[in-house]
Amino acid sequence: MRRRLLVVLLGLVAAIWTAAALFSYFDARHELDEMFDAHLAQSASLLIAQAGHDLDEIDEHAADLHRYARRVAFQFWEDGRVLRLHSANAPSTRMSSQDEGFADVRIDGAGWRVFSGRDPSRRYVVQVGERTSARDAIVGTMIRNMLWPLLFALPLLAIVVWIAIARVMHPLGLLNRQVVARAPDNLVPLALDAAPAEVAPLAANLNRLFERVRTSIENERRFTADAAHELRTPLAAIRAQAQVARGATADAERTHALESVIAGCDRAVHVVDQLLTLARLEPEGFAVRRARCDLQMVARECVADIAASANAKAITVTQADGPPVVIDADERLLRTLLRNLLDNAVRYSPDRSEVRVRITARDEDASIVVADRGPGVPAAERDRLGQRFHRLQPGATTGTGLGLSIVKRIAALHDATVAFDAVPEGGLAVTVSFRRAAPMAQ
Amino acid sequence: MRILVVEDDPLLGDALQAGLRQRGFDVDWVRDGVAAEGALRAETFAGVVLDLGLPRLDGLTLLRRERARGARVPMLVLTARDATEDRVSGLDSGADDYVVKPVDLDELAARLRALVRRSTGEPAPVLTLGTLKLDPAARTVTLGARPIELQAREFNLLHELMRNAGRVLTRRELEQRLYAWGEEIESNALEVHVHHLRRKLAPALIRTVRGVGYVIPRDADDLERP
Repeated sequence: MRRRLLVVLLGLVAAIWTAAALFSYFDARHELDEMFDAHLAQSASLLIAQAGHDLDEIDEHAADLHRYARRVAFQFWEDGRVLRLHSANAPSTRMSSQDEGFADVRIDGAGWRVFSGRDPSRRYVVQVGERTSARDAIVGTMIRNMLWPLLFALPLLAIVVWIAIARVMHPLGLLNRQVVARAPDNLVPLALDAAPAEVAPLAANLNRLFERVRTSIENERRFTADAAHELRTPLAAIRAQAQVARGATADAERTHALESVIAGCDRAVHVVDQLLTLARLEPEGFAVRRARCDLQMVARECVADIAASANAKAITVTQADGPPVVIDADERLLRTLLRNLLDNAVRYSPDRSEVRVRITARDEDASIVVADRGPGVPAAERDRLGQRFHRLQPGATTGTGLGLSIVKRIAALHDATVAFDAVPEGGLAVTVSFRRAAPMAQ
Repeated sequence: MRILVVEDDPLLGDALQAGLRQRGFDVDWVRDGVAAEGALRAETFAGVVLDLGLPRLDGLTLLRRERARGARVPMLVLTARDATEDRVSGLDSGADDYVVKPVDLDELAARLRALVRRSTGEPAPVLTLGTLKLDPAARTVTLGARPIELQAREFNLLHELMRNAGRVLTRRELEQRLYAWGEEIESNALEVHVHHLRRKLAPALIRTVRGVGYVIPRDADDLERP
């Protein structure tokens, strides 16, 4: 990249310099032309002024007075035919066919600029000419003097730019080496104090990235560890029951053990399902597909789904009737949330009790409350509800401790809140509140 | 031998109880730490199988409390926590063994037997007295070369007496060690079992100490006496 920068920079400099030189060339040339032309004209005037003297016998050439003299010539013509006076290097024929004004002619293969003028008596024509090569030479020298430095300046510039770039890139190079030298799993933040001001923002952002990656990896590790741990007991139960079945001497004993094996497998499958659900919900960038859902209708369907397990314990699940309550939510996630709430309520409710579902709606939010008549949760413990695998009475029920974690996670994805309260007659009421519309600006 | 199983998971607890019973133990099963504490104070157990994740009083705390009050009953921790620091913490809190779930029932039974042996100072797994040999693992009894057929309760009684050879065990102690809760103990069941053992093995084997209990002597010589 450094090379590219250098090439671009030097190329630009050379191009601009050359363009400037070219511009100067044309500008200078123009000005020079004017100056020389003026000079020619003036010389002619001077000569004409001198024409007052008698020129009859003069037939000489003027002395070379200047280094450029060889390139300048003049002719004095009488009546347009007789050459009365001329410079040493002037040809014998008329330099220009014109009697007045400027002309560009070629004489002996060289380019000449010739000015012709008449004297007041109109007897004489003065022609003053100049080899254009003179002008070319001057301008050429000027331009060359402008471009020569480029030859030396460019390499010098190249060196200076190279060093400058190297110094600017140095902090980046240091940072790069630091990052490259790390082991793949090293996510310790970079030392920010050592980084110079230019790369400090980059280093800070890298650190933030490391932090996010570390958190993500940590979550995954914890999850895997939790899952493995949580599955040990169901698996231990299955294995032990199978051994009991194998060693059973009575049919009843064997049957009971084998049924326990099946129950244990079902439970393990349930744990795995909940774990998978939670794992799918965990990633930060989980995409929630919101659409308009009727909370009442979805709730009614979920209540119908849970009828089977409720009936097994003779529990009645009731839902208060009401108008449709529309919210913006991901319907399948909403179903999972409600299923888990109802599942918990039925699990923790004693036989022949009632689970009540109620939906309330206001302009700015809509909530659903699921209340059971189970043992309830002491106020102190309510904070821990929803912590993964936390169960209040692990042995008394067959829950997995993951249901409320799932409920909380889905609520969070919808910017909804979850609240736990005690039912006055005993039991737990879980309230999930969804925001309905953007809050009004204050 | 009477074992207390402390496990809150219904399926696993049930399996442990049934499985250890199949292997000759008498098993009492409680589901939380408070019940376990109560049981340990009220009864005598040969060993305890203790889960750590218990409601109301967790396993480690129970372990420490029991050891602090001087309980010497062998306790085997059976848990899902497998990290090294958990193992160290469990053993240092007073566990005699630390096993991670899932566990093979035969292995669990063997470990329990080993713990019980160690607790009573028996060097050898097989108990011998003269020509009488009792193998707790195989649950066999031989007198000389002849195998003796014993009922489960008789075997357990003989085992208990031989384990404590030379020491008089009271009726109450024997009943505690041999009967789990909820089992009906007929009023003279113990006498009946002792009678059967004398008949099947040797009349002089079990000595009655009037008003106190029963004892099996340490030395074989005493056996020969009429």
